[in-house]
Amino acid sequence: MSTKHKVTIIEPSEIVSAGLKQLVEYGGNFHVVKIFKSIQDYSENQNGNPDIILINPSVMNIGDTNERNILTTKDNVSIVAICYLAYNEETLRNYDGCIGMFCTQEQIEKKLQSALKTSSDKEQDDNSNELSARECEILTAVAKGKTNKEIADEFNLSIHTVISHRKNISHKLGINSIAGLTIYAVMNKLLDVEDF
Amino acid sequence: MDNKINAPTFSAKTKMSEIITSSSLLSIIERLNIKLGFGEASINEICRRNNLSTELFLKICKVYAVESFVPDIENLTREDIPEIIGYLQRTHKYWTGSFFPNLHSNIHTMLDSCDGTSKRMLNKFYDDYDEEIKKHLDYEENTVFPYILSLIDSEQKNANSYRIKDFEENHSNIEEKLQDLKNIVIKYLPESASQQSRINVLNEIFKIEDDLNKHSIIENKILIPLVSKFE
Repeated sequence: MSTKHKVTIIEPSEIVSAGLKQLVEYGGNFHVVKIFKSIQDYSENQNGNPDIILINPSVMNIGDTNERNILTTKDNVSIVAICYLAYNEETLRNYDGCIGMFCTQEQIEKKLQSALKTSSDKEQDDNSNELSARECEILTAVAKGKTNKEIADEFNLSIHTVISHRKNISHKLGINSIAGLTIYAVMNKLLDVEDF
Repeated sequence: MDNKINAPTFSAKTKMSEIITSSSLLSIIERLNIKLGFGEASINEICRRNNLSTELFLKICKVYAVESFVPDIENLTREDIPEIIGYLQRTHKYWTGSFFPNLHSNIHTMLDSCDGTSKRMLNKFYDDYDEEIKKHLDYEENTVFPYILSLIDSEQKNANSYRIKDFEENHSNIEEKLQDLKNIVIKYLPESASQQSRINVLNEIFKIEDDLNKHSIIENKILIPLVSKFE
């Protein structure tokens, strides 16, 4: 039981949430600790410290940092969308994964596993003083003058994730300005001077 | 190491000579045009001789001498404003005329033995920073200070559309790049840059960091609130 990952579902439709619970728990790796019908219900009764939150994007816009903060104050919670409408790519990029109405049990299992992986990577990076491979890539892109939006597109990340990587980079290096980050990148051979 | 004076015992009656315990307090005396040779005279007495408000003098000294002291504008008047501006202007003059050129030449020495790329990039980084500082100070000298002086000179209500609030909004952060430079020198400069030249540069950066920090406390906690009372 203790090795099972905890999942919270926020979904207005009981049919959907009950079905989802069945499928999510089927493989034995995940346990649905709580089901909420609305974000209000969630914020009033929230408990259980989930590893994954499954949420219907029509309930809230998690691209908005303030709203995301209502959902979770922890950084290492994965947030996966439950989609039975078509959402644009932009919206879905803010999630660590997306489960559609026609996903099979195996697909759901796989998506949840990879959502977990995304967040444990994050945790690992936070604990190290050295830049991770991903942070080096992002730093290089920043030094080349790319915007957060461009970096998000290039690496297929949400803007939220790019900003949080950039914060971690600046925190680790003690360098905030783009000019300073560029110098770091060149000195550490992450970037060729010819790139300028 | 700066010797911090004992804050609670430090008042208008304290002997002026007793509070000159560090180079930063000495620089206040210099920036306020107070001549050394105090004898046994009190702070009050010296301020009176120099036509300076004792309240203002004490507040400025406490900003430098007492860690995390936040001054207020209690007991300060309209007449103190030109004095505050004079103080800030003389600080700017010291920075542009002496401090930054000195830092610049220390940085040059430090980078002399670095390879071409690091040298070129860091020199450019510093030049850009220098430019940023100049712009920041020029804005204060050419826009903010003349506005304040004309405001307190005229008895009429301020007809100008400029407000001191605009200054607060335009008050850019000139400390960020300095932090970056400091960390680059501490952490990442190639070994070819000599230890002594790095230490010289770092000591200068520590000095200016403290000075910039106190300077913005005086602007944000004394000058801006005081001026907005008369707008």
